[in-house]
Amino acid sequence: MLEVQNAKKYFGGVKAVDNVSIQVKKSSITGLIGANGAGKTTLFNMISGFIPLTAGTVIYEGEDITNQPAYKISTKGIVRTFQTPLGFPRMTVMENMLVFAKNRNAGIFTAIKTSKKVTPLEEEYIERARKILKDVGLGNKEDAWVSDLSAGELKILEFARPLMADPHIFLLDEPAAGINPANLNSLVTLIKDLRNKGYTFLIVDHNLKFIMNICDYIYVMADGKLIFEGLPDEVANADCVIESYIGKKKTEDTVSN
Amino acid sequence: MLTGTALFLSSILTLAAIYAVIALALNLEAGVDGLWDLGVVSFVAVGAYTYTMLTVSPASAGQSYIMGFGLPMWVGVLAAGIAGSIVAFLIGKPTLKLKNEYFLITTFAFAEVIRQILTNERWLSNGVAGVYNLAQPFKTYFTPSVYPYILLLLLVIIVFIVYVVVHRLTYSTFGRSLKALRENEPLALTAGIRPDRFHIRAFVIAGFFAGTAGAFYVWYSTVITPSLFTSDITFFVWMAIVIGGLANNKGAIVGSVIFVLAGESLRFLDLGSGFAVRMASMKIAILGLILIAILKWRPQGILPEKKVKFSNSSKNS
Ligand SMILES: Nc1ncnc2c1ncn2[C@@H]1O[C@H](COP(=O)(O)OP(=O)(O)O)[C@@H](O)[C@H]1O
Ligand SMILES: [Mg+2]
Repeated sequence: MLEVQNAKKYFGGVKAVDNVSIQVKKSSITGLIGANGAGKTTLFNMISGFIPLTAGTVIYEGEDITNQPAYKISTKGIVRTFQTPLGFPRMTVMENMLVFAKNRNAGIFTAIKTSKKVTPLEEEYIERARKILKDVGLGNKEDAWVSDLSAGELKILEFARPLMADPHIFLLDEPAAGINPANLNSLVTLIKDLRNKGYTFLIVDHNLKFIMNICDYIYVMADGKLIFEGLPDEVANADCVIESYIGKKKTEDTVSN
Repeated sequence: MLTGTALFLSSILTLAAIYAVIALALNLEAGVDGLWDLGVVSFVAVGAYTYTMLTVSPASAGQSYIMGFGLPMWVGVLAAGIAGSIVAFLIGKPTLKLKNEYFLITTFAFAEVIRQILTNERWLSNGVAGVYNLAQPFKTYFTPSVYPYILLLLLVIIVFIVYVVVHRLTYSTFGRSLKALRENEPLALTAGIRPDRFHIRAFVIAGFFAGTAGAFYVWYSTVITPSLFTSDITFFVWMAIVIGGLANNKGAIVGSVIFVLAGESLRFLDLGSGFAVRMASMKIAILGLILIAILKWRPQGILPEKKVKFSNSSKNS
Protein backbone atom coordinates (compact mmCIF):
# COMPACT_ATOMS: atom_id res chain seq x y z
CA MET A 1 0.00 0.00 0.00
CA LEU A 2 2.79 2.39 0.98
CA GLU A 3 6.29 1.87 -0.25
CA VAL A 4 9.40 3.91 0.34
CA GLN A 5 12.30 3.11 -1.98
CA ASN A 6 15.89 4.11 -1.24
CA ALA A 7 14.90 7.27 0.57
CA LYS A 8 17.72 9.63 1.48
CA LYS A 9 17.71 12.85 3.39
CA TYR A 10 20.90 14.78 3.98
CA PHE A 11 20.98 17.89 6.11
CA GLY A 12 24.30 19.30 5.03
CA GLY A 13 26.71 16.61 6.17
CA VAL A 14 24.16 14.81 8.38
CA LYS A 15 22.72 11.73 6.73
CA ALA A 16 19.45 11.79 8.67
CA VAL A 17 17.95 9.07 6.47
CA ASP A 18 20.32 7.03 4.38
CA ASN A 19 18.96 4.71 1.74
CA VAL A 20 15.93 3.42 3.58
CA SER A 21 13.31 1.21 1.95
CA ILE A 22 10.19 0.09 3.75
CA GLN A 23 6.87 -1.41 2.82
CA VAL A 24 3.57 -1.08 4.63
CA LYS A 25 0.95 -3.66 3.70
CA LYS A 26 -2.73 -2.86 3.65
CA SER A 27 -4.49 -3.33 6.98
CA SER A 28 -1.23 -4.01 8.74
CA ILE A 29 0.28 -2.35 11.74
CA THR A 30 3.88 -1.74 10.86
CA GLY A 31 6.35 -0.51 13.45
CA LEU A 32 9.44 1.63 13.09
CA ILE A 33 11.80 1.75 16.02
CA GLY A 34 15.18 3.24 16.66
CA ALA A 35 17.02 5.38 19.16
CA ASN A 36 16.60 9.13 19.30
CA GLY A 37 18.04 10.74 16.20
CA ALA A 38 17.78 7.56 14.15
CA GLY A 39 15.84 9.40 11.44
CA LYS A 40 12.30 8.15 12.08
CA THR A 41 10.60 11.55 12.15
CA THR A 42 12.60 12.65 9.13
CA LEU A 43 11.31 9.62 7.24
CA PHE A 44 7.75 10.54 8.25
CA ASN A 45 8.32 14.11 7.12
CA MET A 46 9.39 12.89 3.71
CA ILE A 47 6.50 10.51 3.26
CA SER A 48 3.96 13.14 4.26
CA GLY A 49 5.42 15.86 2.05
CA PHE A 50 6.75 18.11 4.80
CA ILE A 51 10.32 18.00 3.56
CA PRO A 52 11.69 17.08 0.13
CA LEU A 53 13.69 13.90 -0.36
CA THR A 54 17.35 14.17 -1.23
CA ALA A 55 16.80 11.00 -3.25
CA GLY A 56 14.39 8.11 -3.43
CA THR A 57 10.75 7.45 -4.16
CA VAL A 58 7.51 7.24 -2.21
CA ILE A 59 4.78 5.13 -3.77
CA TYR A 60 1.25 5.06 -2.43
CA GLU A 61 -1.36 2.72 -3.93
CA GLY A 62 0.76 2.44 -7.06
CA GLU A 63 1.07 6.21 -7.46
CA ASP A 64 4.37 8.06 -7.21
CA ILE A 65 3.76 10.74 -4.59
CA THR A 66 7.39 11.72 -4.05
CA ASN A 67 7.72 15.37 -3.03
CA GLN A 68 4.08 16.22 -3.52
CA PRO A 69 2.89 19.06 -1.26
CA ALA A 70 1.76 18.03 2.22
CA TYR A 71 -1.83 19.25 1.86
CA LYS A 72 -2.23 17.14 -1.26
CA ILE A 73 -0.80 13.99 0.29
CA SER A 74 -3.19 14.40 3.22
CA THR A 75 -6.17 14.46 0.90
CA LYS A 76 -5.12 11.12 -0.56
CA GLY A 77 -5.88 9.50 2.78
CA ILE A 78 -2.41 9.54 4.29
CA VAL A 79 -2.50 11.20 7.64
CA ARG A 80 0.40 11.81 9.97
CA THR A 81 0.56 12.90 13.57
CA PHE A 82 3.27 14.92 15.28
CA GLN A 83 5.72 13.86 17.91
CA THR A 84 4.85 16.95 19.95
CA PRO A 85 1.11 17.34 19.73
CA LEU A 86 -0.17 20.89 20.02
CA GLY A 87 -3.47 20.72 18.21
CA PHE A 88 -5.09 24.01 17.38
CA PRO A 89 -4.74 25.50 20.89
CA ARG A 90 -7.17 28.42 20.76
CA MET A 91 -9.95 26.33 19.30
CA THR A 92 -12.25 23.91 21.04
CA VAL A 93 -11.93 20.14 20.83
CA MET A 94 -15.00 20.04 18.57
CA GLU A 95 -13.57 22.71 16.28
CA ASN A 96 -10.34 20.74 16.12
CA MET A 97 -12.33 17.75 14.94
CA LEU A 98 -14.34 19.74 12.40
CA VAL A 99 -11.23 21.17 10.75
CA PHE A 100 -10.53 17.62 9.61
CA ALA A 101 -14.00 17.03 8.19
CA LYS A 102 -14.11 16.83 4.43
CA ASN A 103 -16.24 19.96 3.99
CA ARG A 104 -13.22 22.24 4.09
CA ASN A 105 -13.83 23.45 0.56
CA ALA A 106 -17.25 24.90 1.31
CA GLY A 107 -17.34 28.16 -0.58
CA ILE A 108 -17.10 31.72 0.57
CA PHE A 109 -20.31 32.86 -1.09
CA THR A 110 -22.25 29.98 0.40
CA ALA A 111 -20.96 31.03 3.80
CA ILE A 112 -22.07 34.62 3.26
CA LYS A 113 -25.53 33.51 2.17
CA THR A 114 -26.04 31.05 5.01
CA SER A 115 -27.75 32.48 8.05
CA LYS A 116 -27.71 29.20 9.98
CA LYS A 117 -24.94 28.77 12.48
CA VAL A 118 -24.79 25.08 11.70
CA THR A 119 -25.65 23.68 8.29
CA PRO A 120 -27.22 20.21 7.96
CA LEU A 121 -23.98 18.88 6.53
CA GLU A 122 -22.10 20.28 9.48
CA GLU A 123 -24.64 18.78 11.83
CA GLU A 124 -23.65 15.40 10.40
CA TYR A 125 -19.98 16.08 10.98
CA ILE A 126 -20.68 17.22 14.52
CA GLU A 127 -22.53 13.98 15.26
CA ARG A 128 -19.70 12.01 13.79
CA ALA A 129 -17.14 13.94 15.81
CA ARG A 130 -19.14 13.33 18.99
CA LYS A 131 -19.14 9.62 18.31
CA ILE A 132 -15.41 9.53 17.71
CA LEU A 133 -14.72 11.63 20.81
CA LYS A 134 -16.86 9.30 22.88
CA ASP A 135 -15.06 6.25 21.49
CA VAL A 136 -11.65 7.63 22.40
CA GLY A 137 -12.74 8.84 25.83
CA LEU A 138 -12.93 12.56 25.18
CA GLY A 139 -16.71 12.63 25.11
CA ASN A 140 -17.04 15.24 27.83
CA LYS A 141 -14.42 17.56 26.38
CA GLU A 142 -16.02 18.83 23.18
CA ASP A 143 -16.32 22.42 24.42
CA ALA A 144 -12.91 22.60 26.08
CA TRP A 145 -10.16 24.77 24.65
CA VAL A 146 -7.48 22.47 23.33
CA SER A 147 -4.93 24.59 25.19
CA ASP A 148 -6.57 23.38 28.43
CA LEU A 149 -6.17 19.66 27.69
CA SER A 150 -3.66 17.47 29.50
CA ALA A 151 -0.72 16.02 27.59
CA GLY A 152 -2.41 12.62 27.49
CA GLU A 153 -5.67 14.03 26.19
CA LEU A 154 -3.76 15.92 23.51
CA LYS A 155 -2.15 12.67 22.37
CA ILE A 156 -5.54 11.04 22.08
CA LEU A 157 -7.00 14.02 20.23
CA GLU A 158 -4.06 13.95 17.84
CA PHE A 159 -5.21 10.52 16.89
CA ALA A 160 -8.96 11.16 16.95
CA ARG A 161 -8.90 14.23 14.72
CA PRO A 162 -7.90 12.56 11.45
CA LEU A 163 -10.63 9.96 11.87
CA MET A 164 -13.00 12.70 10.71
CA ALA A 165 -11.51 12.54 7.24
CA ASP A 166 -11.69 8.78 6.78
CA PRO A 167 -8.00 8.25 6.12
CA HIS A 168 -6.57 5.01 4.77
CA ILE A 169 -3.24 5.02 6.48
CA PHE A 170 -2.06 6.59 9.72
CA LEU A 171 1.53 7.55 10.30
CA LEU A 172 1.75 7.92 14.06
CA ASP A 173 4.87 9.57 15.46
CA GLU A 174 5.34 8.33 19.03
CA PRO A 175 1.65 8.03 19.93
CA ALA A 176 2.40 6.34 23.25
CA ALA A 177 4.95 8.83 24.54
CA GLY A 178 3.70 10.66 27.62
CA ILE A 179 0.46 8.73 27.79
CA ASN A 180 -0.67 7.19 31.08
CA PRO A 181 -1.18 3.39 31.22
CA ALA A 182 -5.00 3.58 31.24
CA ASN A 183 -5.06 5.80 28.17
CA LEU A 184 -2.41 3.62 26.56
CA ASN A 185 -4.64 0.57 26.88
CA SER A 186 -7.55 2.33 25.25
CA LEU A 187 -5.19 3.55 22.52
CA VAL A 188 -4.03 -0.01 21.85
CA THR A 189 -7.62 -1.24 21.72
CA LEU A 190 -8.56 1.62 19.43
CA ILE A 191 -5.70 0.98 17.00
CA LYS A 192 -6.46 -2.74 16.88
CA ASP A 193 -10.14 -2.05 16.32
CA LEU A 194 -9.38 0.30 13.48
CA ARG A 195 -6.99 -2.17 11.92
CA ASN A 196 -9.72 -4.78 12.00
CA LYS A 197 -11.91 -2.32 10.14
CA GLY A 198 -9.27 -2.11 7.41
CA TYR A 199 -7.20 0.93 8.38
CA THR A 200 -3.44 0.71 8.00
CA PHE A 201 -0.82 1.96 10.45
CA LEU A 202 2.82 2.89 10.44
CA ILE A 203 3.86 3.58 14.00
CA VAL A 204 7.05 5.07 15.39
CA ASP A 205 7.54 4.65 19.09
CA HIS A 206 10.03 4.28 21.89
CA ASN A 207 7.81 2.08 24.01
CA LEU A 208 8.99 -1.35 22.93
CA LYS A 209 6.33 -3.25 24.80
CA PHE A 210 3.71 -1.22 23.02
CA ILE A 211 5.31 -1.76 19.60
CA MET A 212 5.94 -5.48 20.13
CA ASN A 213 2.40 -5.97 21.34
CA ILE A 214 0.70 -4.16 18.53
CA CYS A 215 2.76 -4.53 15.36
CA ASP A 216 2.70 -7.22 12.68
CA TYR A 217 6.03 -6.26 11.26
CA ILE A 218 8.84 -4.06 12.51
CA TYR A 219 11.63 -2.03 10.96
CA VAL A 220 14.61 -0.96 13.02
CA MET A 221 16.64 2.15 12.22
CA ALA A 222 19.94 3.39 13.58
CA ASP A 223 21.84 6.48 12.47
CA GLY A 224 19.70 6.93 9.40
CA LYS A 225 20.09 3.35 8.21
CA LEU A 226 17.76 0.38 8.30
CA ILE A 227 19.55 -2.22 10.41
CA PHE A 228 16.91 -4.89 10.77
CA GLU A 229 13.40 -5.87 9.80
CA GLY A 230 11.17 -8.75 10.77
CA LEU A 231 8.35 -10.09 12.89
CA PRO A 232 8.12 -8.87 16.49
CA ASP A 233 9.76 -11.92 18.05
CA GLU A 234 12.52 -11.88 15.45
CA VAL A 235 13.20 -8.27 16.30
CA ALA A 236 13.16 -8.96 20.01
CA ASN A 237 15.86 -11.59 19.58
CA ALA A 238 18.07 -9.96 16.99
CA ASP A 239 21.54 -9.23 18.33
CA CYS A 240 22.08 -6.07 16.37
CA VAL A 241 18.81 -4.63 17.60
CA ILE A 242 19.55 -5.41 21.22
CA GLU A 243 22.95 -3.84 20.85
CA SER A 244 22.10 -0.71 19.00
CA TYR A 245 18.74 0.07 20.40
CA ILE A 246 17.18 -2.02 23.10
CA GLY A 247 20.21 -2.06 25.35
CA LYS A 248 20.54 1.67 25.15
CA LYS A 249 16.82 2.15 25.54
CA LYS A 250 16.55 -0.05 28.61
CA THR A 251 19.06 2.03 30.50
CA GLU A 252 17.23 5.17 29.45
CA ASP A 253 13.99 3.69 30.71
CA THR A 254 15.36 2.82 34.11
CA VAL A 255 16.77 6.30 34.43
CA SER A 256 13.54 8.00 33.50
CA ASN A 257 11.47 5.72 35.72
CA MET B 1 -24.28 74.38 22.08
CA LEU B 2 -26.22 71.15 22.35
CA THR B 3 -26.62 70.83 18.61
CA GLY B 4 -22.95 71.66 18.29
CA THR B 5 -22.08 68.79 20.60
CA ALA B 6 -24.47 66.43 18.87
CA LEU B 7 -23.07 67.36 15.50
CA PHE B 8 -19.55 66.84 16.73
CA LEU B 9 -20.48 63.50 18.23
CA SER B 10 -22.22 62.33 15.08
CA SER B 11 -19.19 63.35 13.08
CA ILE B 12 -16.78 61.31 15.19
CA LEU B 13 -19.15 58.36 15.26
CA THR B 14 -19.25 58.48 11.48
CA LEU B 15 -15.48 58.36 11.46
CA ALA B 16 -15.63 55.47 13.97
CA ALA B 17 -17.97 53.60 11.65
CA ILE B 18 -15.51 53.97 8.77
CA TYR B 19 -12.74 52.68 11.02
CA ALA B 20 -15.03 49.83 12.04
CA VAL B 21 -15.37 48.71 8.41
CA ILE B 22 -11.58 48.66 8.02
CA ALA B 23 -11.24 46.98 11.43
CA LEU B 24 -13.69 44.23 10.46
CA ALA B 25 -11.73 43.65 7.26
CA LEU B 26 -8.44 43.54 9.15
CA ASN B 27 -9.94 41.30 11.80
CA LEU B 28 -10.72 38.64 9.20
CA GLU B 29 -7.22 38.53 7.75
CA ALA B 30 -5.24 39.33 10.92
CA GLY B 31 -7.46 38.18 13.79
CA VAL B 32 -8.99 35.07 12.27
CA ASP B 33 -6.32 34.17 9.72
CA GLY B 34 -3.33 35.51 11.65
CA LEU B 35 -1.74 37.49 8.80
CA TRP B 36 0.46 40.29 10.04
CA ASP B 37 -0.73 42.85 7.53
CA LEU B 38 0.82 46.24 8.14
CA GLY B 39 -0.40 47.66 4.86
CA VAL B 40 -4.16 47.62 5.15
CA VAL B 41 -4.19 51.33 4.30
CA SER B 42 -3.14 50.36 0.74
CA PHE B 43 -6.61 48.99 0.11
CA VAL B 44 -8.27 52.03 1.66
CA ALA B 45 -6.22 54.41 -0.47
CA VAL B 46 -6.73 52.57 -3.72
CA GLY B 47 -10.44 52.18 -2.96
CA ALA B 48 -10.81 55.87 -2.18
CA TYR B 49 -9.02 56.99 -5.33
CA THR B 50 -10.82 54.50 -7.54
CA TYR B 51 -14.15 55.67 -6.17
CA THR B 52 -13.23 59.32 -6.65
CA MET B 53 -11.82 59.02 -10.15
CA LEU B 54 -14.88 57.10 -11.33
CA THR B 55 -17.50 59.35 -9.78
CA VAL B 56 -16.12 62.89 -10.22
CA SER B 57 -16.61 65.05 -13.30
CA PRO B 58 -13.70 65.34 -15.72
CA ALA B 59 -10.73 67.37 -14.54
CA SER B 60 -11.15 71.10 -14.97
CA ALA B 61 -8.49 73.67 -15.82
CA GLY B 62 -5.52 73.54 -13.48
CA GLN B 63 -6.38 70.02 -12.34
CA SER B 64 -5.20 66.75 -13.76
CA TYR B 65 -6.46 63.29 -13.03
CA ILE B 66 -7.49 60.27 -15.01
CA MET B 67 -11.04 59.19 -15.78
CA GLY B 68 -13.59 61.53 -14.20
CA PHE B 69 -16.51 59.56 -15.57
CA GLY B 70 -19.17 60.94 -13.24
CA LEU B 71 -20.51 57.42 -12.61
CA PRO B 72 -23.16 56.76 -9.93
CA MET B 73 -21.88 56.42 -6.38
CA TRP B 74 -22.87 52.81 -5.92
CA VAL B 75 -20.81 51.89 -8.97
CA GLY B 76 -17.93 53.78 -7.41
CA VAL B 77 -18.28 51.93 -4.09
CA LEU B 78 -18.39 48.57 -5.81
CA ALA B 79 -15.38 49.50 -7.94
CA ALA B 80 -13.55 50.66 -4.80
CA GLY B 81 -14.08 47.21 -3.28
CA ILE B 82 -12.96 45.44 -6.42
CA ALA B 83 -9.91 47.68 -6.73
CA GLY B 84 -9.05 46.87 -3.11
CA SER B 85 -9.36 43.17 -3.91
CA ILE B 86 -7.17 43.45 -6.98
CA VAL B 87 -4.47 45.27 -5.05
CA ALA B 88 -4.73 42.63 -2.32
CA PHE B 89 -4.31 39.91 -4.91
CA LEU B 90 -1.32 41.60 -6.54
CA ILE B 91 0.40 42.28 -3.21
CA GLY B 92 -0.64 38.95 -1.67
CA LYS B 93 0.40 36.62 -4.48
CA PRO B 94 4.16 37.12 -4.05
CA THR B 95 4.20 38.04 -0.34
CA LEU B 96 1.85 35.53 1.30
CA LYS B 97 4.51 32.87 0.81
CA LEU B 98 6.79 34.83 3.13
CA LYS B 99 7.06 34.30 6.84
CA ASN B 100 4.93 36.62 8.95
CA GLU B 101 7.87 38.87 9.86
CA TYR B 102 8.70 39.51 6.22
CA PHE B 103 5.07 39.78 5.23
CA LEU B 104 4.67 42.56 7.76
CA ILE B 105 7.57 44.57 6.36
CA THR B 106 6.56 44.01 2.75
CA THR B 107 2.94 45.05 3.19
CA PHE B 108 4.09 48.13 5.06
CA ALA B 109 6.49 48.99 2.25
CA PHE B 110 3.80 48.54 -0.40
CA ALA B 111 1.53 50.97 1.45
CA GLU B 112 4.28 53.58 1.39
CA VAL B 113 4.95 52.96 -2.30
CA ILE B 114 1.29 53.48 -3.12
CA ARG B 115 1.21 56.74 -1.19
CA GLN B 116 4.38 57.92 -2.94
CA ILE B 117 2.84 57.18 -6.32
CA LEU B 118 -0.30 59.10 -5.40
CA THR B 119 1.83 61.98 -4.18
CA ASN B 120 4.24 62.20 -7.09
CA GLU B 121 2.29 61.18 -10.18
CA ARG B 122 0.31 64.35 -10.66
CA TRP B 123 -1.31 63.20 -13.94
CA LEU B 124 -2.89 60.30 -12.10
CA SER B 125 -4.81 61.95 -9.29
CA ASN B 126 -3.76 65.60 -9.06
CA GLY B 127 -0.84 64.89 -6.71
CA VAL B 128 -0.64 66.53 -3.29
CA ALA B 129 -3.31 69.07 -4.24
CA GLY B 130 -5.86 66.29 -4.36
CA VAL B 131 -9.50 66.77 -5.34
CA TYR B 132 -11.97 68.89 -3.38
CA ASN B 133 -15.71 69.39 -2.98
CA LEU B 134 -16.59 65.78 -3.57
CA ALA B 135 -20.25 64.83 -3.46
CA GLN B 136 -21.94 63.00 -0.59
CA PRO B 137 -24.71 60.42 -0.92
CA PHE B 138 -28.38 61.57 -0.67
CA LYS B 139 -27.16 65.06 0.21
CA THR B 140 -29.70 66.89 -1.93
CA TYR B 141 -32.63 65.28 -0.11
CA PHE B 142 -31.79 66.77 3.28
CA THR B 143 -31.09 70.15 4.80
CA PRO B 144 -27.42 70.69 5.65
CA SER B 145 -28.17 70.74 9.39
CA VAL B 146 -29.58 67.19 9.48
CA TYR B 147 -27.34 65.70 6.81
CA PRO B 148 -24.53 64.63 9.19
CA TYR B 149 -27.01 62.39 11.00
CA ILE B 150 -28.14 60.88 7.72
CA LEU B 151 -24.56 60.09 6.80
CA LEU B 152 -24.04 58.53 10.22
CA LEU B 153 -27.17 56.43 9.81
CA LEU B 154 -26.02 55.28 6.39
CA LEU B 155 -22.67 54.24 7.79
CA VAL B 156 -24.23 52.43 10.73
CA ILE B 157 -26.23 50.39 8.22
CA ILE B 158 -23.07 49.70 6.23
CA VAL B 159 -21.18 48.59 9.35
CA PHE B 160 -24.03 46.26 10.18
CA ILE B 161 -23.95 44.67 6.72
CA VAL B 162 -20.17 44.27 6.78
CA TYR B 163 -20.42 42.85 10.29
CA VAL B 164 -22.94 40.21 9.21
CA VAL B 165 -20.83 39.16 6.24
CA VAL B 166 -17.58 38.99 8.20
CA HIS B 167 -19.33 37.24 11.09
CA ARG B 168 -20.70 34.55 8.80
CA LEU B 169 -17.32 34.07 7.19
CA THR B 170 -15.61 33.85 10.58
CA TYR B 171 -17.83 31.05 11.79
CA SER B 172 -18.04 29.18 8.50
CA THR B 173 -15.94 26.24 7.44
CA PHE B 174 -13.79 28.74 5.59
CA GLY B 175 -13.23 30.78 8.75
CA ARG B 176 -12.47 27.66 10.73
CA SER B 177 -9.80 26.70 8.22
CA LEU B 178 -8.30 30.18 8.55
CA LYS B 179 -8.21 29.80 12.30
CA ALA B 180 -6.60 26.39 11.93
CA LEU B 181 -3.86 27.94 9.79
CA ARG B 182 -3.38 30.67 12.37
CA GLU B 183 -3.13 28.18 15.21
CA ASN B 184 -0.95 25.48 13.70
CA GLU B 185 -0.08 25.52 10.03
CA PRO B 186 1.68 22.12 9.84
CA LEU B 187 -1.30 20.44 11.44
CA ALA B 188 -3.68 22.29 9.11
CA LEU B 189 -1.68 20.86 6.20
CA THR B 190 -2.48 17.37 7.40
CA ALA B 191 -6.14 18.29 7.21
CA GLY B 192 -5.63 19.03 3.53
CA ILE B 193 -5.85 22.80 3.92
CA ARG B 194 -3.80 24.59 1.32
CA PRO B 195 -2.30 27.65 3.02
CA ASP B 196 -1.65 29.92 0.05
CA ARG B 197 -5.15 29.47 -1.29
CA PHE B 198 -6.86 30.26 2.01
CA HIS B 199 -4.57 33.16 2.86
CA ILE B 200 -5.09 34.84 -0.49
CA ARG B 201 -8.86 34.51 -0.17
CA ALA B 202 -8.85 36.09 3.28
CA PHE B 203 -6.55 38.83 2.03
CA VAL B 204 -8.67 39.58 -1.04
CA ILE B 205 -11.89 39.70 1.00
CA ALA B 206 -10.21 42.08 3.46
CA GLY B 207 -9.04 44.13 0.47
CA PHE B 208 -12.60 44.37 -0.76
CA PHE B 209 -14.08 45.75 2.44
CA ALA B 210 -11.13 48.02 3.19
CA GLY B 211 -11.46 49.27 -0.40
CA THR B 212 -15.10 50.21 0.09
CA ALA B 213 -14.11 51.91 3.35
CA GLY B 214 -11.96 54.16 1.19
CA ALA B 215 -15.07 55.32 -0.65
CA PHE B 216 -16.88 55.93 2.64
CA TYR B 217 -13.93 57.95 3.84
CA VAL B 218 -14.32 60.17 0.80
CA TRP B 219 -18.01 60.65 1.69
CA TYR B 220 -16.93 61.71 5.12
CA SER B 221 -14.10 64.05 4.20
CA THR B 222 -15.41 65.32 0.80
CA VAL B 223 -11.74 65.74 -0.03
CA ILE B 224 -9.08 63.38 -1.22
CA THR B 225 -5.33 63.88 -0.87
CA PRO B 226 -2.51 61.37 -0.46
CA SER B 227 -1.81 62.68 3.05
CA LEU B 228 -5.09 61.15 4.25
CA PHE B 229 -3.69 57.69 3.66
CA THR B 230 -0.58 57.43 5.77
CA SER B 231 0.26 54.28 7.69
CA ASP B 232 -1.31 55.94 10.73
CA ILE B 233 -4.57 54.43 9.53
CA THR B 234 -3.03 50.95 9.56
CA PHE B 235 -1.67 51.41 13.08
CA PHE B 236 -4.90 52.95 14.38
CA VAL B 237 -6.98 50.09 13.04
CA TRP B 238 -4.56 47.56 14.49
CA MET B 239 -4.83 49.30 17.85
CA ALA B 240 -8.61 49.28 17.55
CA ILE B 241 -8.81 45.52 16.99
CA VAL B 242 -6.27 44.78 19.71
CA ILE B 243 -8.21 46.97 22.16
CA GLY B 244 -11.54 45.51 21.06
CA GLY B 245 -10.33 41.91 21.01
CA LEU B 246 -8.53 40.16 18.15
CA ALA B 247 -10.75 37.75 16.19
CA ASN B 248 -13.91 39.11 17.82
CA ASN B 249 -15.99 41.04 15.30
CA LYS B 250 -18.03 42.94 17.85
CA GLY B 251 -14.71 43.77 19.46
CA ALA B 252 -13.49 45.28 16.19
CA ILE B 253 -16.47 47.66 16.23
CA VAL B 254 -16.22 48.45 19.93
CA GLY B 255 -12.48 49.01 19.60
CA SER B 256 -13.00 51.42 16.71
CA VAL B 257 -15.58 53.45 18.59
CA ILE B 258 -13.48 53.65 21.76
CA PHE B 259 -10.43 54.44 19.76
CA VAL B 260 -11.97 57.27 17.75
CA LEU B 261 -13.88 58.66 20.75
CA ALA B 262 -10.77 58.74 22.90
CA GLY B 263 -8.71 60.32 20.17
CA GLU B 264 -11.17 62.91 18.91
CA SER B 265 -12.87 63.98 22.12
CA LEU B 266 -9.64 65.71 23.08
CA ARG B 267 -10.78 68.39 20.71
CA PHE B 268 -13.48 69.13 23.23
CA LEU B 269 -10.91 70.69 25.46
CA ASP B 270 -10.79 74.07 23.85
CA LEU B 271 -7.31 75.11 24.77
CA GLY B 272 -6.83 77.68 22.09
CA SER B 273 -5.08 77.41 18.77
CA GLY B 274 -1.59 77.37 20.26
CA PHE B 275 -2.27 73.96 21.66
CA ALA B 276 -3.10 72.29 18.39
CA VAL B 277 0.30 70.70 17.94
CA ARG B 278 0.54 69.65 21.55
CA MET B 279 -2.93 68.11 21.28
CA ALA B 280 -1.94 66.03 18.28
CA SER B 281 0.84 64.42 20.25
CA MET B 282 -1.42 64.15 23.30
CA LYS B 283 -3.81 62.11 21.19
CA ILE B 284 -1.12 59.59 20.31
CA ALA B 285 0.04 59.49 23.93
CA ILE B 286 -3.45 58.84 25.30
CA LEU B 287 -4.19 56.16 22.73
CA GLY B 288 -0.86 54.59 23.54
CA LEU B 289 -1.75 54.56 27.23
CA ILE B 290 -5.09 52.88 26.51
CA LEU B 291 -3.29 50.25 24.47
CA ILE B 292 -0.73 49.60 27.20
CA ALA B 293 -3.45 49.34 29.82
CA ILE B 294 -5.38 46.85 27.71
CA LEU B 295 -2.31 44.74 27.00
CA LYS B 296 -1.43 44.73 30.68
CA TRP B 297 -4.81 44.02 32.26
CA ARG B 298 -6.80 42.49 29.47
CA PRO B 299 -4.45 41.12 26.81
CA GLN B 300 -7.30 39.38 24.97
CA GLY B 301 -8.99 42.76 24.46
CA ILE B 302 -12.28 44.07 25.76
CA LEU B 303 -14.22 41.31 24.01
CA PRO B 304 -11.98 38.23 23.77
CA GLU B 305 -12.28 35.75 20.94
CA LYS B 306 -15.49 33.79 21.38
CA LYS B 307 -15.50 30.12 22.18
CA VAL B 308 -17.43 28.29 19.50
CA LYS B 309 -19.80 25.82 21.10
CA PHE B 310 -21.98 23.32 19.32
CA SER B 311 -23.40 21.59 22.39
CA ASN B 312 -26.78 23.28 21.92
CA SER B 313 -26.50 23.51 18.22
CA SER B 314 -30.14 22.60 17.61
CA LYS B 315 -30.98 26.09 18.83
CA ASN B 316 -29.38 28.24 16.19
CA SER B 317 -28.47 31.73 17.09
N1 LIG C 1 15.69 20.15 9.86
C1 LIG C 1 16.82 19.53 10.21
N2 LIG C 1 18.01 20.11 10.00
C2 LIG C 1 19.16 19.50 10.34
N3 LIG C 1 19.22 18.30 10.92
C3 LIG C 1 18.06 17.65 11.17
C4 LIG C 1 16.80 18.24 10.85
N4 LIG C 1 15.82 17.38 11.22
C5 LIG C 1 16.45 16.31 11.74
N5 LIG C 1 17.78 16.47 11.72
C6 LIG C 1 18.77 15.50 12.20
O1 LIG C 1 18.48 14.28 11.60
C7 LIG C 1 18.66 13.21 12.50
C8 LIG C 1 17.39 12.40 12.62
O2 LIG C 1 16.41 13.14 13.32
P1 LIG C 1 14.94 12.60 13.55
O3 LIG C 1 14.39 12.16 12.25
O4 LIG C 1 14.18 13.65 14.26
O5 LIG C 1 15.18 11.37 14.51
P2 LIG C 1 14.13 10.50 15.33
O6 LIG C 1 12.76 10.93 14.99
O7 LIG C 1 14.43 9.10 14.94
O8 LIG C 1 14.46 10.74 16.77
C9 LIG C 1 19.12 13.84 13.81
O9 LIG C 1 20.52 13.75 13.87
C10 LIG C 1 18.68 15.26 13.69
O10 LIG C 1 19.52 16.10 14.42
MG1 LIG D 1 11.29 11.64 16.20
